[in-house]
Amino acid sequence: MGKQMTEMLKGTLEGIVLALIAANPAYGYDITARLRDQGFSDIAEGTVYALLLRIEKRGLVDVEKVPSEKGPARKVYTLNAQGADYLREFWGSWSFLTARIEHLQWDVQQPHNTGGNDGREMD
Amino acid sequence: MAAKWIELVTGPFEDKRRWRRFKQRKAQLPAGYRTAMDGLERYFMYAGPIAKGDVYIQMLEDLADLIERAAVDGTPIRGVVGEDPVEFAEAFIANYADGQWIDKERRRLVDTIDRSEGEA
Repeated sequence: MGKQMTEMLKGTLEGIVLALIAANPAYGYDITARLRDQGFSDIAEGTVYALLLRIEKRGLVDVEKVPSEKGPARKVYTLNAQGADYLREFWGSWSFLTARIEHLQWDVQQPHNTGGNDGREMD
Repeated sequence: MAAKWIELVTGPFEDKRRWRRFKQRKAQLPAGYRTAMDGLERYFMYAGPIAKGDVYIQMLEDLADLIERAAVDGTPIRGVVGEDPVEFAEAFIANYADGQWIDKERRRLVDTIDRSEGEA
């Protein structure tokens, strides 16, 4: 992924992860795997882990520890009511932002449609 | 009574117990994972000095959970920390900001600006 894509992704990753958890409660490992399936092929497991710690601290998910045969217990993340509120807000922000940016892109690419003509001859 | 007094001087016994446990966990990791953990631990000490002992220990325990899990699952180190380990380390540290020395100064800045508005 390019640098620009990485930067843009950073701001939306939290919402994307909450959306994945909303669809199905999951382990951190599964969440990373699902993100990779969705095309975020370079995503580091540690980055997802840090994000999961954050949303846990903020009380957006409920966490259940499931003992594992080997290694530390696995945590299963489930979206709770507060997380659902947050996710709704995320989709609202997302719709607003994409609509505004598409509008801007349209304006920039079709300047003659805005009625403004800066003096140049149009073809 | 005596125990309380000693804890005042040396820090809580509980933190020390957890710290020793963490050292043990680290010692049991496969070599490559242990090296990565050492590197991250060192970076945490310089980049995000944590003033509160219990927050610092919590941070190391969370890191140990991640690295142990990766070692058991066979996830390569690079798959855990990504292309830019600094970025991962910073994202990880941000979760423990309430334990950082700088946190006190952040709050002080917010309070001072609040006060300055009142004086203007």
